[in-house]
Amino acid sequence: MDDLISVTALTKSYGATRALDGLDLSVRAGEVHGFLGPNGAGKSTTIRILLGLIRATSGTVRLLGGDPWRQATELHRRLAYIPGDVTLWPALTGGEVIDLLGRARGGLDQRRRAELMDRFELDPRKRTRTYSKGNRQKVALVAAFSSRAELLILDEPTAGLDPLMEAAFRTSVIEEQRAGRTVLLSSHLLSEVEALCDRVTIIRAGRAVESGTLSGLRHLTRTSITADLAGSPGPLSDLPGVHDVLVENGRLTCQADSDALDGLLARLSAIGVRGLTCSPPSLEDLFLRHYQGAAR
Amino acid sequence: MTVLLGLAARRERLRSAVWILVVVMLGAGLVSYIDRYFTTQEALRVYARVISENPIFLGLGGPVAEPSVGAMAAWRSGGLLFLLTAWMALTIVIRHTRAEEESGRQELMLSGVIGRAAPLTAALVTAAVAALVAGALTAGVLVAIGMEVAGSLAYGAAITAAGWVFAAIGAVASQLVQTARTATTLGLLALGVSYVLRYLGDASGATWLTWSSPLGWSHLVRAYSADRWWPLIVSLVATGVLLALAYALSARRDLDAGLLPVRPGPATGPYLKGPFSLAWRLQRGLLAKWAAGVMAAAALFSGLSGVAPRLAEQPGWVLDAFLHRYGGPSGDPVDAYLWIIVLLLAYTVALYPVLATLRLHHEESSGHAEALLSTAVSRLRWAAAHLAVAALGTLALLALGGFVTGLIYSLVMGDPAVGRVLAAALEHVPAAWLVGAFAAFAVGVLPRVSVALSWTVWGAVIVVGDLVGPLIGLWGWSRVEPFHYTPNTVSGEPFTAAPATVILALTALLVATALIRLRDRDLG
Repeated sequence: MDDLISVTALTKSYGATRALDGLDLSVRAGEVHGFLGPNGAGKSTTIRILLGLIRATSGTVRLLGGDPWRQATELHRRLAYIPGDVTLWPALTGGEVIDLLGRARGGLDQRRRAELMDRFELDPRKRTRTYSKGNRQKVALVAAFSSRAELLILDEPTAGLDPLMEAAFRTSVIEEQRAGRTVLLSSHLLSEVEALCDRVTIIRAGRAVESGTLSGLRHLTRTSITADLAGSPGPLSDLPGVHDVLVENGRLTCQADSDALDGLLARLSAIGVRGLTCSPPSLEDLFLRHYQGAAR
Repeated sequence: MTVLLGLAARRERLRSAVWILVVVMLGAGLVSYIDRYFTTQEALRVYARVISENPIFLGLGGPVAEPSVGAMAAWRSGGLLFLLTAWMALTIVIRHTRAEEESGRQELMLSGVIGRAAPLTAALVTAAVAALVAGALTAGVLVAIGMEVAGSLAYGAAITAAGWVFAAIGAVASQLVQTARTATTLGLLALGVSYVLRYLGDASGATWLTWSSPLGWSHLVRAYSADRWWPLIVSLVATGVLLALAYALSARRDLDAGLLPVRPGPATGPYLKGPFSLAWRLQRGLLAKWAAGVMAAAALFSGLSGVAPRLAEQPGWVLDAFLHRYGGPSGDPVDAYLWIIVLLLAYTVALYPVLATLRLHHEESSGHAEALLSTAVSRLRWAAAHLAVAALGTLALLALGGFVTGLIYSLVMGDPAVGRVLAAALEHVPAAWLVGAFAAFAVGVLPRVSVALSWTVWGAVIVVGDLVGPLIGLWGWSRVEPFHYTPNTVSGEPFTAAPATVILALTALLVATALIRLRDRDLG
């Protein structure tokens, strides 16, 4: 099976600024692909090129087997898109916007629309000018998920959603994948990508810095642990998946892979734990740790 | 409370200063206008007679009891000054009550040590002071330029009273509905109805109609002639009653809520089939407003055609100059007057395709276009949809203007003219399209400066055009704008297709360039 999206050595310049600098990205059919990067890394620029809204400066881009710039209209029949910043026509109601976008994409699954309307608790009769940011986001979500598109391109789709709605979003993405659709999910939230994606591409300063399956990128998802202990834990070198161990005055700090947590905690509780802090590494941490200097 | 008042005053000082300045300058300007053009008592008396014989003139400012400069100026300016002051006060109140509430800023203020009714009071005080300043300043300036004191004071008081009543109406409107937009619409509707009632009352002499209009109370003062103060008591009582109502309503409702229910919109959009129905849906409001404006202007000017035959009484050289500009083979001053109306419509309506086309730019810059263009809608169809509304809307507006002008003229003068006025109006369609095509070109090729550029083109066409140009003198009667080439068929000039063909070709060229560039450039 061919890749649904395949991007090689893509660049985009705005005058002297380089928004994209030799980006590679490939999304296989049927996968949920995480597109991860801090703000301003070039995620939205890449997506806008994929949609044929802006033109690449150089590099090759294939989308659904076609050229996204020249064949934009016919390719768009087969995809649905949620912009990063959803702005809607203020005088139209949410229901009208969903129907308009659905019809413009070439059809809407009415049953799915009703189901999603329910799930996202969206009132379709309100004018979009009265919607909050989260509600505007929901309109875009319902419109995209109730389309019959084979590819979904979602640009930071959970911005403005509360945790309940975020859960509803995750359920919907999983359903879409089961129905055989492919999803490109741009995000700056590691946890979201971790929960949903099969493969991930990490982008920084317009260039892909990591790409692969999540398990292949395990080292990116270490939990950092700080523990105040009753005794000395020793170097812990016999525990696989525990890194960067530092012990000072009975306080241990280290990084642990997810599957090493169990063993580590068992060891620690045997020594006696007085205080414990666990935090998933933030994306910023990751970039600072792994890629400092790499992009310079 | 004082905090809110300070805030409101600070936010209003520039805006209301401009309103007040316009009111005062109009008031004083019309006095000097009357003074300059009607130099003798005899001329004033003739003018007063003309007014009292023509219901359309009567409607403008009521009967002129006395042929004095003051009474004339008040007649000429009154309707407008009362209207402007009322409008100012109305919008100030809504801006500081419902608009603040809607934006959520008021929530922040009310969480401080501020009473529930304080925002309403602060808004009302601000509006009342602005209306008071408008009235007092107008009276002061009029006295200063030598108008009689009693009349000037009565006139100023009438101006202030109009502002106060409508401040109170704005207060009620902003309690009733949930959005500032709807509240403003409601308030302006009340203002419009007041104006129409008053106009009809004065035009027909049915005084009870004038009495039924809040603007009418200010008119009934009849400054500089009767100088009656007591109609203003009605204004004050009405203001008091409306204020009591507004406070009672505000005490009863929750923050952010209105009393009239918000009508939910449709849950589905079966008629939004694609870019064309969407463009129509987004643009129909603008077109409807223009249609109403065009209809009103056409009716007003053609209703005044009764004065046209008097043009023939002008001194010979004035008449010659006039006919040289606006007359045709028929040499009839009435035809020339009709042609001026048609030109006025044409130059004004040329702004419509500009605004409708700029909507395309707004769709792009606001991000709305991105949502649509990520679907199977091509850029070409998206742009074509808006341009089609702009082009057909222009055609419809000129047809409407021509038809109404012709119809009312025929009724007033007893001379059927619908056919030739309508044809003359439609002749201007290509030229108006060309002005719009510049906007399309700007949106396609120079999106960043498209708004400024499009307005500049329209403005330049007006300034060098056949109507405004001669007034300015220098650049008048220019050959570089398209309307210049439309033959004056109203006065019997033969229609020739050549200019229209050239103009249409230019239009097509500009639009085609715009579309090609639009397909080819980055969006957003």
